[in-house]
Amino acid sequence: MSLTSSTQRFGLVALIERIKERVRKTRGPLTPPVTLEYRHVFVMPTKFGVCFGFLLVLMLLGGLNFNNNMALMLVFLLGAMTQMTSLLAYRNLVGLRIDNIISDAVFCGEDARFKIFISNPGRQKRYTLSAGFKQAQDCRDFNPSARESVTLHMPSQKRGWVAMPVFRLETRFPLGLFKAWSWIFPNTSCLVYPEPAKTFPPLPISGQGESGQAKKGDGDQVHGLRKYQQGDSRHRIAWRASARHDKMYSLEMETPRDESCELNWDLLQGYDAESRLSVLTAWVLEADRRQLTYSLKMPLESIATGQGAGQRVRCLEMLALYPA
Amino acid sequence: MTSLFRRRKKRSAINLLDQQSSLWVIATLVFSMLPQWASMPVHLMLITLLPVVWRLLAAFGHWKPMPMLVRVLAAAVAVAVLVLTYGGIMGRRAAVSMLVLMLAMKLLETFTIRDARVVVSLSLFVCATQFLFSQELPMILYIVACVLTALTALMVLQRREAFQVLPEPPESSHQIRSELGFGLRLMLMALPIGIAFFMLFPRWGSPLWGMPENALDAKTGLSDSMSPGSIQGLFMDDSPAFRVSFQGDVPRQSEMYWRGPVFWDFDGASWKSSYLSRNLPAVKKPDPNKALFRYEVQMEPTEQRWLFALDYPALTPKGARMSIDYQLISRRSITQLRSYTMASDPLFSDKSELPQVIRRTAVELPKGFNPRTRQLISDWQAETASDSEMVARALRYFNQQQFHYTLNPPLLSDDTVDEFLFDTREGFCEHYASAFTVMMRMAGIPARVVTGYMGGWNSEFGDYTLVRQSDAHAWSEVWIKGSGWTRIDPTAAVAPERVERGSVSSLAERRYFFDFEWLRDSKNAFDLLQRGWNQWVIAFDAGRQSSMFSQFGWGLWGAGKLVVALMVVLLLASMCFVWLLPWLMKVFAARQLDPVQREWLRFRQKLSKANIEAPDSSTPTELAGIANSQLKYSGNVINRIVELYLHCRYSASAGELNELSEMVQQFQPRRLQT
Repeated sequence: MSLTSSTQRFGLVALIERIKERVRKTRGPLTPPVTLEYRHVFVMPTKFGVCFGFLLVLMLLGGLNFNNNMALMLVFLLGAMTQMTSLLAYRNLVGLRIDNIISDAVFCGEDARFKIFISNPGRQKRYTLSAGFKQAQDCRDFNPSARESVTLHMPSQKRGWVAMPVFRLETRFPLGLFKAWSWIFPNTSCLVYPEPAKTFPPLPISGQGESGQAKKGDGDQVHGLRKYQQGDSRHRIAWRASARHDKMYSLEMETPRDESCELNWDLLQGYDAESRLSVLTAWVLEADRRQLTYSLKMPLESIATGQGAGQRVRCLEMLALYPA
Repeated sequence: MTSLFRRRKKRSAINLLDQQSSLWVIATLVFSMLPQWASMPVHLMLITLLPVVWRLLAAFGHWKPMPMLVRVLAAAVAVAVLVLTYGGIMGRRAAVSMLVLMLAMKLLETFTIRDARVVVSLSLFVCATQFLFSQELPMILYIVACVLTALTALMVLQRREAFQVLPEPPESSHQIRSELGFGLRLMLMALPIGIAFFMLFPRWGSPLWGMPENALDAKTGLSDSMSPGSIQGLFMDDSPAFRVSFQGDVPRQSEMYWRGPVFWDFDGASWKSSYLSRNLPAVKKPDPNKALFRYEVQMEPTEQRWLFALDYPALTPKGARMSIDYQLISRRSITQLRSYTMASDPLFSDKSELPQVIRRTAVELPKGFNPRTRQLISDWQAETASDSEMVARALRYFNQQQFHYTLNPPLLSDDTVDEFLFDTREGFCEHYASAFTVMMRMAGIPARVVTGYMGGWNSEFGDYTLVRQSDAHAWSEVWIKGSGWTRIDPTAAVAPERVERGSVSSLAERRYFFDFEWLRDSKNAFDLLQRGWNQWVIAFDAGRQSSMFSQFGWGLWGAGKLVVALMVVLLLASMCFVWLLPWLMKVFAARQLDPVQREWLRFRQKLSKANIEAPDSSTPTELAGIANSQLKYSGNVINRIVELYLHCRYSASAGELNELSEMVQQFQPRRLQT
């Protein structure tokens, strides 16, 4: 439930939404790291709580009418317990500390995941604390002095930075008659890379004219296993694999070719901007998988030739944040 | 349409119960309906049991819910059977049975958390309704257990609901035992507020809607007719009829005749009260100022309308009237505990002439019955001169002939009095009273049968007298010219010990298998508790409430003021709970030491007991040195303790802590003999 969508609605629902928003804003904003204080915690009866209260009123009327003291006592006891559970729900939430929220980058179309670290500084155990944007997505018990993480996810629809929406921590402990909740306004964003194209033109490899295959044979990097052949060096024998399969295997080594490719925006004529980004993303992933060195050239900026995880992240970030 | 249906189905699939929560819900329902269930006829019992069993099997076998049609049909059939059995759903038992039955049927479709919560809530409602039938201590304890179960069920449901977002709920760190303990703590926390509400909540002086008739399972106690065997049935029943606390003198056992229904009409087999006597008001009443005994009666519900008082009642309780034969008849039937103040004058008698109408009723007998008795009486009539001589003659007859007082008299057929007087000669108070009254009427002496209770158990500690159903008794009253209605107890002529010692002690035989003296004693002791509870809690009503306020010097509080007071109570309790309790917990926790420190202090205490004193500033190792030099203890032990302590302090390990605490436990320092 994003803040902008609700303001566009009209009628009673919109009004309630607006009031809710106002309350949230005046009581907040709660941006981690934050410790939940009493003014951050809202307590309201749940639907079940309201029905239960109604039942208690019925029982009360019956007890009063028949002047049945034990029925009255039962009603008062249940009523007092109901009241106590509202305080228990409140106490279950108040004092929690939301330390920080981290989020790893995802590709568009995947779920953006937010890992929220929450610690329970108090001495009391806290039960069934659930977190979610609109509906609860994760739930935990918190031992005293424990630190736990809950993970929220939401579908990513656009590349670029996606801000984590407002989420709530909620508990209906102990009987489900009352819910206590807090709205948290995180300042965390998730980076969404463009969705890699499923089909894409081959990598524009511009090595030393040879095929894109790395040369097998001697080298520094392990490529795979092959059957032992006479003449293979003893150091190359894959002892563990051999033992497992009762057959001799030796490691196949390869030397990465000094191949490089220039992933150029301009190579992709005939695609629209987003498709180009998709293809470039797919190329980056492919080049990375094949351990090529590659550079990325975009209309406005470019990344020099490089290799490995750092290069991949740099390239993907640039693609993600390419101005639309 | 299909998409809507599918969506709904999918949504409900989220909130499904698991086995554990299903079992708790079923347990809650079964517990709360058990007392009601036990009172049902057998076929209804079975009908109620069926859905419960099915649901249990479904929980274990992971069955699907039954089709809608089957459920509706089953419910319809069950309701039809119930209505046929009870003849409607009016009356409390029938209404509550209906509730229980429907709730059991609800189990058939209880597969979601929402439905489960409905079942648990309504189970609590059923619990409350059980207090309509009994408010005694065992019932209260039972309902407390039911509420605990319900709380646990709600807790389990809440956890189930919260954790369904996870594919695999966490290892239940929250065990059932701790849930029960939590429920109990919650109850204890709520208890002060509950009690405050109980005392302060405005009560209604009179009910808004009427009390359904036949509130209790059956009418208990004496009834509006007496046939052979009716009192005998009561004789097996040790439940309390009423409790009396006397102000001042307590009458002797043999003087305690508690007057109840009075019978005038005899049809040859049974005695009935007459319309006339029931509806004519008492003409001449005893003077309350001359009454010898003053007392408070706390009467258990009977579903009847008689109030009991010692002969002869001088006061008429509120909402009751006194009939011409001194029965106290309540306007409404007594469906709950009732207290009234009473005064009695045993010496009272109305000596005025008997009106003709009443005299005629009092000598009337069915024609053609009991010819042998009639013959006997006419023989006597020839020999006796006055009515009082006739009475004495009859009593002598009972006393001198071989009559037996027994609980198991043989059955009598047509001429009941004849057979009793000449053939069987074995009977119970009702036989004697009936036969004697018939004999008197044959002699033309106005006579009537009075039923009630005789005697009672005087509690040594409770300062009250308990009258049980088994104290039921029947006697006669005859009208003698010059002295008016006079009480004659023919049973006393046969079995004087019945009058002296009470009904149960006068029997040689045991009434039933578990009829032991010590059991009766413990029942009496328990009654003390029950009576206090009745007096202070069950009988609390609008009147008591206002008198409580005036005792506190608050005067009469209006409803508005009470509501404000209740709000204040709630607020204070909440504040205590939110601020005071955590603060106290913090203070207490600060006092608690960590376990390593605790063991170390124990060790040092043991040392100082053995007079090993070391300056506070000394390090543990120095302390070990001092201790080793002065104790004949093996140095290894002390060194090991110190070493363990240091280890625990600086590198935590649970195993070492256990070893430390064990070693400190076994450490018994003794000084070196010097």
